[in-house]
Amino acid sequence: MTTSDPEENIISFMTIPFGPQHPASGHFHAMIKCDGENVTELTPHPGYLHRGFEKLMEYRTHVQNTMLSDRVCILDPLANEMGYVNVAEKAAGIEAPERGKFIRAIMAELGRILSHLTWVGVISYAVGLESGAKIAWGDREKIIRLNEIITGGRIYPCYFMPGGVRRDLSREHADGMARVLDYMEEKLKLYDDLVFYNTTFMSRLENVGTLSREDAVALGATGPNLRASGVSTDVRKDEPYDAYPYIDLEVVTGEKGDAYSRALCRRGEIIASLSIIRQLLAKMPAGDFKVKWPMTKKVPGGEAYFCCEAARGEMCFHMVSDGSDKPYRVKIRGPSFSHALAIFPRLVRGAQLADVPAVYWSLDPCPADMDR
Amino acid sequence: MLDDIIADVRSRFGESILHVLPEERRATFTVTRPVSHEVLSRLKAMGFDHLSDVSGVDYIADGEFEINYHLWSHARKVRVTQKVRIARESPLIESVVDLWPGAQIHEREAHELFGITFEGNPDLSPLFLEDWTEIPPFRKDFDTREYVKKQYDDDK
Amino acid sequence: MSNLIPAVIRSKAEASAASLWVIHYFTACGFLELFPWVGSGYDMERFGILAVATPRHADVFIVAGYVTQKAVRRIQRIYDQMPSPKYVMALGSCPMTGGMYWDSYATVKRIDKYIPVDLWVLGCPPKPENIGHGIVMAMNAIKGGFGGH
Repeated sequence: MTTSDPEENIISFMTIPFGPQHPASGHFHAMIKCDGENVTELTPHPGYLHRGFEKLMEYRTHVQNTMLSDRVCILDPLANEMGYVNVAEKAAGIEAPERGKFIRAIMAELGRILSHLTWVGVISYAVGLESGAKIAWGDREKIIRLNEIITGGRIYPCYFMPGGVRRDLSREHADGMARVLDYMEEKLKLYDDLVFYNTTFMSRLENVGTLSREDAVALGATGPNLRASGVSTDVRKDEPYDAYPYIDLEVVTGEKGDAYSRALCRRGEIIASLSIIRQLLAKMPAGDFKVKWPMTKKVPGGEAYFCCEAARGEMCFHMVSDGSDKPYRVKIRGPSFSHALAIFPRLVRGAQLADVPAVYWSLDPCPADMDR
Repeated sequence: MLDDIIADVRSRFGESILHVLPEERRATFTVTRPVSHEVLSRLKAMGFDHLSDVSGVDYIADGEFEINYHLWSHARKVRVTQKVRIARESPLIESVVDLWPGAQIHEREAHELFGITFEGNPDLSPLFLEDWTEIPPFRKDFDTREYVKKQYDDDK
Repeated sequence: MSNLIPAVIRSKAEASAASLWVIHYFTACGFLELFPWVGSGYDMERFGILAVATPRHADVFIVAGYVTQKAVRRIQRIYDQMPSPKYVMALGSCPMTGGMYWDSYATVKRIDKYIPVDLWVLGCPPKPENIGHGIVMAMNAIKGGFGGH
């Protein structure tokens, strides 16, 4: 707050860098102009993780690009793979067999739970609840080890292929998965006590960073950030892909659009994903899990567009092919692009400086899918 | 599912709609450059309130850039893509920030990576790259492997 | 592992090895496999390793993952601000050779052209056990008198 003393006024207007080296910024940079403790303006400066993915993909075949697509959003790799293999299949006019689609949906939901657990950790760090981080990141290990046993890769599974999946999901894998799901359901009670219904956590996030419905739609919000502001749009329900037409999906929405609503939306999504995986395991058909896709398969000239629901929101792939074995152009729409660059500056205007990390992480941006 | 939308756009803009590709839940319009902003404005009025993306494709053989606008309607749960081609030599088109404020950063990215200027966009300063002196990197005449060999050769 | 941190610390080298503080800089994907070390999966605090916010408190700089041209200037500045003795660990194949993004126009291919590196850990990303192996090597070297820079 400004005072009437002119010398104090000069001192109270400051420009503070937030990141790129900051415990609560990820690899992202923003310049904050503030007047005392109130933020007047925030200018984001992304680009610390820019690799030019879309250009690199033009030099590689589709199978090689599947390996690369994992790394677009490093916190939720399977959603990127899902997007790339589906758009490649659409461009080639090929469909994966039913069993392959079911396995893909199961692994993508497991990836969603993994991503939300990572988010529980970072939001806990942002509000000062370190135990939440330690426990959530310890529980992540269970799912990562499951990933390793099923796919061979801990963090970057490279499991989906255009045409299906690399390896089958065996009876033992499914049993192991069911045990991990039971464990997570049991642990949810602890997360509720320690994190979600913890009075300090609630008071740090309630009525902070409130995103109105109009702003959310106008600025391109998707995923839990949009649903917490009252808009019920979820790609899995509206344009179901892979095995999603076969399940009952409850779309978790919120009312107030503040940081706490977003937190509760993600909590609801963890619970919904546990139910989805169980439904899919029960309904999984027998049969082939992939169709043949040669290493240097040529895709006919044309275009394809595909959207999937990543943990952070709508992830879209637009592919233009020219008849060769490499795509002519791939455009990836990462959900965090709009969240961090359009919505975050709007939300912190007028907020307290100490709330900036909490608002930032309540939007769950992934700097990697922002920059690609 | 989008028959009424396609009929409305065709009746308003006639021959300026060069091509329509209807799919089950999505339609793609290819339009001429002069009507591009008007068609988008009409689509927004018909309920396409979410702008997913503004992206460029470099058709160097044709001497053109193609700009794709990907839209979604929260109420009707359908998608529309609008394509418009502009000359590669001095690429210029009106911005759509007046229709969708969230378009500002998508256009800024397309400007940095392709060199397309969006008239009316308040800020087209570089987004990802610092002190970049080459041509916009996503153009087809920029070979990233040649650049890496030249720039980072002493690193090997 | 029990002899890594003795019951009584007898020398400055032992004390340094038993409290290596890491600068809190989430560089890139290589960092994902450090999460289990921060969390209860592998828990680095029992080895005296903490993540600190300011370069002035840090001993170790972990460059985890690829580095863009934009980030490398900041990394050099952070490295310069860390007081000696300091150590640098490069995690993953990207800081070593460019890794997966060897043909990207935006990433640097060898981080040791910009800052000196003491320890390289292979992987994409390296598994937590590999990182642990690297940490143990570093702690033993420092206990044995490796002075850093």
